[in-house]
Amino acid sequence: MNSLLVSRRVIFTIAITSFSIYLVFILNPEGALRILINLLTFAGIYGLSAIGLNVHFGWTGLLNFGHASFMGMGAYVTLLLMPHAAGREGEVTTSGLPIIIAVFFGIAAAALFGLLLGLPAIRLRGDYLAIVTIAAAEIFRLLVRDLESITGGVYGIISYTENLQKFRPEFINSLSLNYEFAPSQAWVGIIAWVSIILTLFLLKRLNSSPWGRALRAVREDEDAVRAMGKNAVWLKLQSFMLGAGIAGLSGVLLAFNYGSLETTVFVPLLTFYVWAIMILGGVGSLTGPIYGSIIFWVIISETDRLAYIFFENANGQQLAGFRFLLVGLLIMLLMIFRPSGLLGKKEELLLDVK
Amino acid sequence: MSNNLLEVKNLKKSFGGLQAVNIKELIFKKNQLTSIIGPNGAGKTTFFDLISGFQTADSGDIFLKGDDITNSQPYKIARMGMIRTFQLTKVFDRMTVLENLMFSGSSVTNDSFTKSIIKSKKQRNYEIELKDKSYEIMEDLNISHMADSYARELSGGQKKLLELARSIINNPDTLLLDEPLAGVNPKLAEDLLGLIQKLSSRGISILMVEHNIEAVMKISERIVVLSEGALIADGSPSEIRNDKNVIEAYLGKDDE
Repeated sequence: MNSLLVSRRVIFTIAITSFSIYLVFILNPEGALRILINLLTFAGIYGLSAIGLNVHFGWTGLLNFGHASFMGMGAYVTLLLMPHAAGREGEVTTSGLPIIIAVFFGIAAAALFGLLLGLPAIRLRGDYLAIVTIAAAEIFRLLVRDLESITGGVYGIISYTENLQKFRPEFINSLSLNYEFAPSQAWVGIIAWVSIILTLFLLKRLNSSPWGRALRAVREDEDAVRAMGKNAVWLKLQSFMLGAGIAGLSGVLLAFNYGSLETTVFVPLLTFYVWAIMILGGVGSLTGPIYGSIIFWVIISETDRLAYIFFENANGQQLAGFRFLLVGLLIMLLMIFRPSGLLGKKEELLLDVK
Repeated sequence: MSNNLLEVKNLKKSFGGLQAVNIKELIFKKNQLTSIIGPNGAGKTTFFDLISGFQTADSGDIFLKGDDITNSQPYKIARMGMIRTFQLTKVFDRMTVLENLMFSGSSVTNDSFTKSIIKSKKQRNYEIELKDKSYEIMEDLNISHMADSYARELSGGQKKLLELARSIINNPDTLLLDEPLAGVNPKLAEDLLGLIQKLSSRGISILMVEHNIEAVMKISERIVVLSEGALIADGSPSEIRNDKNVIEAYLGKDDE
């Protein structure tokens, strides 16, 4: 009975996701594939980030509202370690590490930032942790903006995409000629989805392990964890580091997808997008954020077309409003009819609507 | 080798102006079943919090089996073999009963992040043993039919049983039970009492805070009475039953 319900949930989720993708083709008679690849690349990157957030909130119960800063840390450290150009004058740095090593350091830096942020904050509970993390993320962003000599400040970083694009396989180029999509973006998208698969493989292993079990126990009751002789603080720090590392990788991919990096990318709104995706997909569910992310990005990128159907003369501002109206409506419907998200377990419902 | 389990000296803790605990000297012997009683607000739970590390004392010293644990973290004290339960039962609600037990029984090395990725044969075997051990304890306590239920679906009494099961899975030498019988129906209370006695006879030292005086009198070897944070009586059940101070503390003075 139970397994039947689970599979029904999965079928429903896959159906609604497929329908979203189908919608892209319906709404765009021309260039649908190009739009779809753009959308799926963003969905992959944000989905990866939401998977990291799920380690924090879904597994360990940590209210992390500073997720954007982990993404930023990963992105900035990686880019600055590779050949790039930065700042007002576009000062060129030609020497640097190979991309694989730079990304490794980027992820490590994000994880370390998670540890650093966690040390003072992790003893706080619930909403207090949320306040500290959102503040820390803003401090990070403003610091990056003001340390112009290192980070390029408001002028950002450019000319780094070649580090990745030089490894682009030939078949993407030839396909792009036939189907008219951006080959560089497709390459980032492929890497994003491969990263998701690898990350999910790792997390699936951890989820069913004693370590994953310990994190869930921390989520349920920290005092009881301590009373059983377990170091709850250390467990929370480990969770913080793992989730931050995953976010760091997604930040790197986001930077490669944009082609140039500015601090404005990592505003709190990014964090809330990732939260919305996680809630949509199902808190605590491993694969949920993937579906959540695709549906979320279809709405974000296709509402313009949808709005034209309803309001023929809508301008840009009205469209933006309509977009968030739809996202809000969807989350409201979800909270009413499926509060555990698309794939979350009802028994492990984390967002109680009271 | 000293026979002292727990030694408390000049232990003080106050909240604002309220002196919650003020104990000059108190020594608990190994392998005894001792109950701590006293009127509401006597400082019993605070006393438990202090010796289990959940609160820090304003002043004084606490020794567990000769080691100073005055400012130790709760998890370190638990690893020394003294496990506590809580007045308001704390189970892991959205985990199954089996998971509750397996988490509690799992060693710190078994919980390690890297070992959890590698998943060696050794770890898998350890987990299988842990599962068997968990089922053994569940069967002992008659909750094995609930193994796959989420802990939050359990009744209050079953949660008490689960908490107790969780506490004994690592074979502690000392148990601190905070009101193990509170809110439990008479039949289950009887069972729990039997269980506590059985654990005591296995050589586990037990300190118990409990309001059910009848039960306390029946199973305790020693009773310690606290009132307004201070020790007012200490002795065998029969001594306590006739102690003037105790009667006063519970019923008020005669001449009032």
